[in-house]
Amino acid sequence: MFTQYQMDGLFDEMFERPDSPRQHYADVHKRLESLGKAEFAKRVRMADLTFRNQGITFTVYSDQAGVEKIFPFDLIPRIVPDREWQTIEKGLSQRITALNLFCQDIYHKQKILRDRVIPPELIYGAKMFRREMIGVKVPKDIYMHICGTDLVRDHRGEYLVLEDNGRTPSGVSYVLENRAIMKRVFPAIFADYRVRAIEDYPYNLLRTLKHVAPPHADDPVVAVLTPGIYNSAYFEHSFLARQMGVELVEGRDLIVENAFVYMRTTSGLRRIDVLYRRVDDDFLDPLAFRPDSMLGVAGLMNAYRIGNVTLVNAVGTGVCDDKAIYPYVPDMIKYYLGQDAILANVPTYICARPDDRKYTLENLNKLVVKATNESGGYGMLMGHQSTQAERDDFAAKIRDDPRNFIAQPVVELSQHPSYIQDPGDKIGGATLGHFEGRRVDLRPYILYGDKATVMPGGLTRVALRKGSLVVNSSQGGGSKDTWVLEEEENQS
Amino acid sequence: MSTGGPAFSAADLSKYGLGRGARPMLAREADSVYWMARYVERAEHIARLLRIKLNLLADTGDLEDELLEWLWRVVPRVFRLPDGAGGLAAGPVETLGARVVSFMTFDPANSNSLFCCLTQARENARGVRETISAEMWEELNSIYWSIRADDARQRFDESPDAFLNSVVSASMLFQGLTDQTIRHDQRWQFTQLGKYIERIDFTCRVVSLHWQILTQAEDLLDLPLQNIHWMGLLRSCCSIEAYRKSQLAEIDGLRVVSYLTLEESFPRSVRYAVRGAANAIAAVREESDARKADAVQRILGRLDAQLEYAELSELVAEGVPQYLARIESEVSSVALALQRGYFLH
Repeated sequence: MFTQYQMDGLFDEMFERPDSPRQHYADVHKRLESLGKAEFAKRVRMADLTFRNQGITFTVYSDQAGVEKIFPFDLIPRIVPDREWQTIEKGLSQRITALNLFCQDIYHKQKILRDRVIPPELIYGAKMFRREMIGVKVPKDIYMHICGTDLVRDHRGEYLVLEDNGRTPSGVSYVLENRAIMKRVFPAIFADYRVRAIEDYPYNLLRTLKHVAPPHADDPVVAVLTPGIYNSAYFEHSFLARQMGVELVEGRDLIVENAFVYMRTTSGLRRIDVLYRRVDDDFLDPLAFRPDSMLGVAGLMNAYRIGNVTLVNAVGTGVCDDKAIYPYVPDMIKYYLGQDAILANVPTYICARPDDRKYTLENLNKLVVKATNESGGYGMLMGHQSTQAERDDFAAKIRDDPRNFIAQPVVELSQHPSYIQDPGDKIGGATLGHFEGRRVDLRPYILYGDKATVMPGGLTRVALRKGSLVVNSSQGGGSKDTWVLEEEENQS
Repeated sequence: MSTGGPAFSAADLSKYGLGRGARPMLAREADSVYWMARYVERAEHIARLLRIKLNLLADTGDLEDELLEWLWRVVPRVFRLPDGAGGLAAGPVETLGARVVSFMTFDPANSNSLFCCLTQARENARGVRETISAEMWEELNSIYWSIRADDARQRFDESPDAFLNSVVSASMLFQGLTDQTIRHDQRWQFTQLGKYIERIDFTCRVVSLHWQILTQAEDLLDLPLQNIHWMGLLRSCCSIEAYRKSQLAEIDGLRVVSYLTLEESFPRSVRYAVRGAANAIAAVREESDARKADAVQRILGRLDAQLEYAELSELVAEGVPQYLARIESEVSSVALALQRGYFLH
């Protein structure tokens, strides 16, 4: 199945050279080679059926016909050796610590702005900067309790931070479900390795949430706030509520009275102390933000500012997701922690700066241009794959609103073998296939409570379209189980 | 002396909260699990009724057209669908069976087709995915995808019996999982309410409609054939074996009606289902520390007492259809009171 495998001059996660797998992949490679096409196809079908029957789906906004889709699961695991993981773990802990200090600072004394480390106009111009949060004290000064940071590897195999998702990062439920299904479908391969467990994530999440409960709550009531079953990540919201054993609520289940938040139950109102909200800032409270929002609760912001309820993540963390502020994270680390960033950023041109803008406009065909406040792979220009018309369109947009754009050189993401089906080549109900290289990234999840806890692993997303660099699920991406191996001396 | 295990103080142990009070239940959650259970129960009734009718009527060429038409039209009527629905009003009697079956199985425009009931059951379950167990969800999801699959009609045509039976089995399995995989707190009680209320309604309707047809059609049916249809009614209520065991195998219209209405300890009878619903609402009230009985509890309690002390002679004197219609109307008041008292925020 690896016979025609191409490396295309990219960094390949599994292969050092064609036919020569890296040491930590040797066992997987051997197993896969010996499994045979028909058997592998059978396992793929088994995994697909399990996903469907368990309702592990997401919703694509633009897709009218099929509302629910299975997130394509690519059965070959991505393996990260312990020594690589240690660096990632340290780098991510350092990053979330600095980001929390940054949020605390910009919503209070703003020292980093006064010391001119970050231009103030960049912060005040950020759509996600929430003036409503200035001077608001949040429990234990934690703003970003949960962060999903996207990492990519370049052509040399170096890990780079592509972006931080400090609002409501999604995908962690797929990480846990992928692992559960992997163990069912490939028990033998799984047993060959000593993979670090991730199953305690929901427990750690609940601890993180309870850690920031308002002081008046002895036995805090935690709930997950979802926009409802038509949200693309609804499966995850319900999954996390279930795993933590807490209530899943919608805006219409809640009411604010005397600045406390209550849920409506069959026996009257019950107070909620911590809301793990999976609703964006804009929709939280029609009194404070968008008045047309049907997803939130009137009066929630007031209850939050008084400290009667804790929102996780805090309101206003979106400022860290702003792609024009991202380039300053290494400076934040230096400023707040006095350390050098362990994980490097991708070089970034901020179009708000005249020099950067000039360079960007002159080199559009070599750059990736991104809108600073978009996510999910929307609002992007992949310069090297674009048409002249697309480039002209983006050039006009950049001139029109430079603050809204950044540009980065194309990072030749590392590739990983993916299972590609050959339609028409079937055995029984299963479609046969072969392995081909596809680009991957990695989104680890970091919790920040009494300390930073990085889940060993994360969501490896795969750009399933050949040659594509866009891994987002909304853009035809799939995912893999990610194995972080135990320390080497323990490795059998 | 130490036993070698970890030591726990009394304060430690109190944190484990064995005696912790019940978790409150969202009003929306109650609404959803109630309807989830109702729709699963309804799908089971539809599937079983179609299966029995197919077995009984598909090949009965010698039935009078008039009777054949009645016996097929019963199916949508049980679920309160008008006779003209789904283009069933006109057309030859010979194809009526096939049209009723198609209307009641895959028709997305019929809100009481198997397809729509299972979709509704799953939609409700999806909204409270964290309330029900993974096992329940998976079972409901599998049957949903099975009826939505591209090859669903093909599988149905190959063997309607096997297909319908798979729906009945899925419902049974789902109910078993409901009993065995979640805590029997309010959440479970609302599934019981949904299940029993749906069952009372169905049983009243199906018994009443068959009583009307079969007693009026005595001149069209000879006795052995009548008995076959009474047995069909018992089968439609999953009661044939239990009936035989208690009635010494004698089939008789009034006995069948009395069994399905007043039998004390068989789960498919109206009386049993009313008791089940009354117990469920009582448990809900107790869990929420309510002191006074509310409308739901009052109506169900009254109905329960009435059925407990009922005489067959009352039933005959009032008339079977009238007696059952009264129960149907009480049950619809219960459904309304539930809506008002528990589901509407």
